[in-house]
Amino acid sequence: MTASSTALAATDQAMTEFDRTTSRWGRATMIAGLLVSVAGPLYLVFAGGLDIAPAQLWIAFAAVAATFGIIWIVEPLTYYPILGPAAMYQAFMIGNISNKLLPAALIAQTNIGAKPGTRRGQLASVVAICGAAAVHLASLAIFVGLLGSWLISVIPPAVMNVTRLYVLPAVLGAVLVQAIVSMKQPRTTVIALAVAAAVVFLVLPAVPGLAMVSTAIAVLGTVLLAWFFRGRQPAPAGRPAQPVHLE
Amino acid sequence: MHAPLAPTGSTDILAIANAPVLWLCVAGVFGVIVVQSLIFLRAVRRAAPSVQMTPGDIRTSFRSGAVSAIGPSLAVALVAIALLALFGAPAVLSRIGLIGSAAYDVSAAGIAAGTLGAKLGDESYTQSVFAVAFFAMSIGGAMWMIATLILTPLLRRGDAKVRAINPAAMAIVPAAALIGAFACLGFTELPKSGTHVVTFAVSASVMAVSLLLARALGKSWLREWGLGISIVAALGAALLASGS
Repeated sequence: MTASSTALAATDQAMTEFDRTTSRWGRATMIAGLLVSVAGPLYLVFAGGLDIAPAQLWIAFAAVAATFGIIWIVEPLTYYPILGPAAMYQAFMIGNISNKLLPAALIAQTNIGAKPGTRRGQLASVVAICGAAAVHLASLAIFVGLLGSWLISVIPPAVMNVTRLYVLPAVLGAVLVQAIVSMKQPRTTVIALAVAAAVVFLVLPAVPGLAMVSTAIAVLGTVLLAWFFRGRQPAPAGRPAQPVHLE
Repeated sequence: MHAPLAPTGSTDILAIANAPVLWLCVAGVFGVIVVQSLIFLRAVRRAAPSVQMTPGDIRTSFRSGAVSAIGPSLAVALVAIALLALFGAPAVLSRIGLIGSAAYDVSAAGIAAGTLGAKLGDESYTQSVFAVAFFAMSIGGAMWMIATLILTPLLRRGDAKVRAINPAAMAIVPAAALIGAFACLGFTELPKSGTHVVTFAVSASVMAVSLLLARALGKSWLREWGLGISIVAALGAALLASGS
């Protein structure tokens, strides 16, 4: 009895220490990552000799915020119960959470027989994410940094041009289908497609001045209509909210 | 002597996208992640004995994480390579490879370019447009980290306010926002030209087929590679359709 309660106390103390270290250093490294990641574009904008007005920057940022602002808040909320506090600081810096980090964590937990949600499981997922990060950094450095830069130098200019011109629809077609399939909300999907089509094919031709805010209008319209017509959808309360596949 | 013409109008994106400072920042992001991993690994090693986790368990976990990340990492690399011509290696490495994702960053760049009345990739895509787009996607990406920095401590304390958010709203609102955003951004591409329509349609169909096959055959690698395969197929179709 006393022996087991001392053991428990030791466990608690060790895990408190772990929580303290990972939240302190997790926060510090994430802030460092944040600063370094915005330093590049800030340098280009202010020291690149490109003559960019601050207003242009804020308008561009506001348009992005109007489209993705909700996701910025919702995504950390949906991943927290799965990741736990320590891995949050890793995951939102490394990225590709749903397609890479979560599977890595789950496989590691299975392989050492740790249950998700337990402390052993939590430690296993932190280590697994470190392993995944190591592989990811190496593959990016080799295949994108070295091989990619070489590819760019040998690809015929015509192909480069086509890539540059059409990569946006090439990405968005697949991303739209992926979003629809992974969200599994037919009603929301129909509303979103209808609203977006109305904005792009009816509103914009009539009022071209709205081009700047068209995505924001589509997002706001879809959110309002999807909420208004939510009906009695099969209550998503049972399963955890489907993590959005963006980060 | 007049100063050389302001480079604002130049469409030579890669000239500024490969600036040494940007490469330095990429190295910085890589470095921060390495340092974080080392600190976290050491913290795990200290706490492990108290939860009956052996050094062997730690090695197994690390190896499992590393091995399972090989496929997804290569899939991300393929997508990143396709975007090199548009953003240059440093922006692609730090934005699409790490921190962000192709879906978000390409969308954010498109939206930002739109606010300047420009389109990514064509003759209106000047160095200034690239800089503004890179700025908007990076600051936007930083918002995820800021949200994480603010919300994680709150959630750890089990903040009642955060937990009280209606689960139906948590399910419907983000789905509506994302599908609405991608649908609008995608449809905006369609009136540009017939080749845009072909590219979009091929990309969407290849992704649909990949996801269907992934489900039917139980091959989850098809889901990981779906985006990369779709982009390559769609760009191939664009090359044929545009006749270049």
